[in-house]
Amino acid sequence: MTILTVHDLTKTYEKSPVVDRLHFDIQKGSCVALLGPNGAGKTTTLRMLAGLITPTSGRIAFEDFPDHDIRAQIGYLPQHPQFHNWMNGKEFLVYVGQLAHLSKKEASEQAEALMKRVGILEVKNQRIGKYSGGMKQRLGIAQAMIHKPKLLMLDEPVSSLDPIGRREVLNLMKELKQETTLLFSTHILKDAEDVSDELLLMHRGKIIESGTLQSVRDKHRIDKISLHFQTEPDAYVADLEGLEVVESVLREKDGLTLWVKDLEQAREAILERAFLNKWPVTQFEVGRTSLEDLFMKVVNDDAMADHFQA
Amino acid sequence: MQWLTIFKRENLEAARNFKWVWVPLVFIILGVTDPLSTYYLPEILDSMGGLPEGATVDIPTPPPGEVLIMSLSQFNMLGVLIVVLMSMGTISGERKSGVAELVLVKPVHYHTYISAKWAGTLGIVAVSLFLGLLSSWYYTNLLIGDVAFGQFMQLFLFYGVWLALVVTFSLFFNTLFRSPGMVSFLTLAVVILISMVSNVLSHILTWSPGLMIPHLSTMLAEGSVPGELWAATSISLATIVILLIASTLVFRTKEMA
Repeated sequence: MTILTVHDLTKTYEKSPVVDRLHFDIQKGSCVALLGPNGAGKTTTLRMLAGLITPTSGRIAFEDFPDHDIRAQIGYLPQHPQFHNWMNGKEFLVYVGQLAHLSKKEASEQAEALMKRVGILEVKNQRIGKYSGGMKQRLGIAQAMIHKPKLLMLDEPVSSLDPIGRREVLNLMKELKQETTLLFSTHILKDAEDVSDELLLMHRGKIIESGTLQSVRDKHRIDKISLHFQTEPDAYVADLEGLEVVESVLREKDGLTLWVKDLEQAREAILERAFLNKWPVTQFEVGRTSLEDLFMKVVNDDAMADHFQA
Repeated sequence: MQWLTIFKRENLEAARNFKWVWVPLVFIILGVTDPLSTYYLPEILDSMGGLPEGATVDIPTPPPGEVLIMSLSQFNMLGVLIVVLMSMGTISGERKSGVAELVLVKPVHYHTYISAKWAGTLGIVAVSLFLGLLSSWYYTNLLIGDVAFGQFMQLFLFYGVWLALVVTFSLFFNTLFRSPGMVSFLTLAVVILISMVSNVLSHILTWSPGLMIPHLSTMLAEGSVPGELWAATSISLATIVILLIASTLVFRTKEMA
C-alpha cells in the first residue's frame, strides 16, 4: 500500500532547480534510503516533504490523509537538530509531544518510553546543553517519533556521529523500520545498504536510479573474476583473452581482473585451464561490482560530462 | 491547548534565564528613581556644594501626577530599550538556531505559535510595567502627594497599550528577519521615528501613539480622558491587530530554511 506519492516535485532557487521533477512513491512499511552525494538535493526534498519549505511546483500526497495537516502523520529529524538547550531531555519531548496533540500525561509516558528505547533514559533530567552529539541525535529521533508518526523521515541521521554512535543509531533504525515507514537520507552507500530495502539514488536534484536494493544491484551487475598468481601474471594474459567467455582482462598491480559474460561458464573454463596448465594460482575470487561502483560511476560520469562540456 | 503549551514554555524559559527577574527589576528601579530624586532634590543640591550664598532659588515640587508622568518618560526611554532587547530573539533566535524547525514540523498553526510568543513577551512587559509604575505610585504617595488608584490604573492601561505596540513591532520584525540585531535595530528605528514625527507634528498628528505621554499628562491635569488619548489608543490597538495578522502571513510564506 502506498503511503506517500511524490509527483513532479520541483524546487527552484534563483532559477536553478535544486530538486528537479522528482517522481516516486513510498510503500507503507518500507525502508527507503535517499542516497546521493552532498548537494544532490536530499535535504531540500525531505524539507519539502516535512512541510518546512514550499515546493516551486509538483505535488506531495499522503494517501491516507488527503485533507489533514500532514505534519501530524510525519516525524522529521533535521540534519543538525537543535533543541532548547536550557530544557532537559524529557521536558523537551513532553513539549513537542503536546504540540503534536498528546495530552500531558500521554506525552510524558511516551517520552519516558522513547528515551528508554533510544537509550538516553538515564540523562532524562539533564540539560540538553550537556548532551553529547550522539545523545542529541537520539533525542532527535525520539522527538520525531513522539506522536507515533506514520512516516519517519531522518535527514543524514548518522553523518555527524562517531563510529560507535553511528553503529548504535543504525541498529536503532533497523529496529524502527520494523514498526514504521522509514525514509532517510545519506551520502554513505554502506549505511543505505545496511539499513534500507529500497533505494532512491539522487544526483543533481534528480532521481537517477530507484528500486529495491536487490533489483538495483542486479541491474548494474557486472561479473568479474580476479586471479592472483605466484609468478608474474603477464604470461597468462594472452591465454585468458583467448577464452570465449572473457570479455576483457585488466592487468592490475598484483594480479588480473577479468570481466566475463557468464560467471558459471567463465569459472569452469578458467579453472580448467589453470588445472591443465598447472598455473600457480594463489587466489581466485568471483566478484560483482557493488553498488559502490555504481554510485561512484554515476557521480563520476556526471562529473566527467561536466568536465567535457566546460 | 497547543497555545498554552507554547505560552507556558515561553514563561518557563523566561524564568530559567531570569528574564522574569531582571526585567521587572529594571522597571521597578526606573519607577522608584523619579519620586525619590524629586523629593530629595534640595538635599542633593546641598550635598553637591549647594547654591551660592544669598541665592534663593525656589524649586517647586511638581504635582504628584507629574511625578508619575516623569516615571513614564523613563519607561519610554530605557524601558522601551529593555523591551526591545528582551524580545529581539523570541522568534528570530529560534529560527536562527534551528529549534523552530522542530517545533514547526509538529502540527502547530503559525498563528498559534506567533500569538503565544507574543503573549509570552507581553506578559513579562505588562507585569514589569505594572510593578514599576506601582513602585513609582507608592513612593509618590509616600513622599510627594496623593494620586488616586484609579488614575494609576488608567496610566498603566493606556501606557501599556503603547508598550504592547512596541512588543508587536518587535514580533513583526522577528518574523521578517533572522538576525536579532536587525530586529532590535528596526524596532528601535520605528519607535524613534514614531516619537520624533509625532513630536514635531504634534498639532497635526494628535492621534499618534507616540503622543501617549503628553495626552496622559493632560488626562491627569483635567481629570478626564481626552479624545486624543482614545484616538491614539484605538490606533495603537488597530495597529497591533494588523501587525499580528501580518506577522502570521509573513511567517507562513517565509521558509524555515
